[in-house]
Amino acid sequence: MAERKSLIKIKPKKFKSGDVVKVNFMVMHPMETGMRKDKKSGKIVPADYITEVKFFYNDTPFTTMQVWESVSTNPVFTINFKVPAAGTLKVVYKTNTGEVQEQSKKLKPKG
Amino acid sequence: MQRRSFLQRIGLAAAATAATATLTPQSLLAAEAPKGPNTMDIDTALKAITGGKAVTPSKKVHLKAPEIAENGAVVPVTIEVDSPMTNDDYVKAIHVFATKNSNVRCADIMLTPANGAAMFATRIKLGSSQDVLVVAETSTGEFLSAKQSVKVTIGGCG
Repeated sequence: MAERKSLIKIKPKKFKSGDVVKVNFMVMHPMETGMRKDKKSGKIVPADYITEVKFFYNDTPFTTMQVWESVSTNPVFTINFKVPAAGTLKVVYKTNTGEVQEQSKKLKPKG
Repeated sequence: MQRRSFLQRIGLAAAATAATATLTPQSLLAAEAPKGPNTMDIDTALKAITGGKAVTPSKKVHLKAPEIAENGAVVPVTIEVDSPMTNDDYVKAIHVFATKNSNVRCADIMLTPANGAAMFATRIKLGSSQDVLVVAETSTGEFLSAKQSVKVTIGGCG
């Protein structure tokens, strides 16, 4: 299973503990709906989309998402998060084909 | 001695995880929304999520979506819900629907007070011009909604 590119961005870059920050999670994923036909072969491209995204902070889940085909290709998921203290933000996602991948980022609040 | 120190470490680790557990209460995380066949119409999908409860349009739910989307494959959607996000009163879940797609459900987001503010943004596909409907479920058992129609010039599905 090929490693897919994904990225976690925190906005703003400088924050204190207790601040509410924006967490952007981006994945390079085709999000095939299973309804599109390949133009060359004329065959239906099988469905391949993200079904579940889970956000963990220090291994404690705080937000889960159920995702369906209607989300765009190369999706971006943005949520808010109140940073309690320094720790590791981890995002795990699953697809309908059984692929499970994760991405993590260390958060270091200043002050 | 090695075994003892090992056990002590395990104890410490357990205590640490317990501490973080109280920090972001896992029990407050809403149960997963019921799954169903992928070809549900909007009424059955709403029923599956609300359990037959009334959905009231509310000004607390702010839905930002373009009125005219040139490309239906990428329609940015931002949802904000006014809520104090405390342990007693917070937004449990946000459900996003595209009312005329063959699968009306786009995303179901389960939030906790650890989020600080109820916000969600993503990009969705719209097959044709239609309404985008957002239903926010609060911890007090209310279902609040917001709706906006989006005109699509080029369809994004198929």
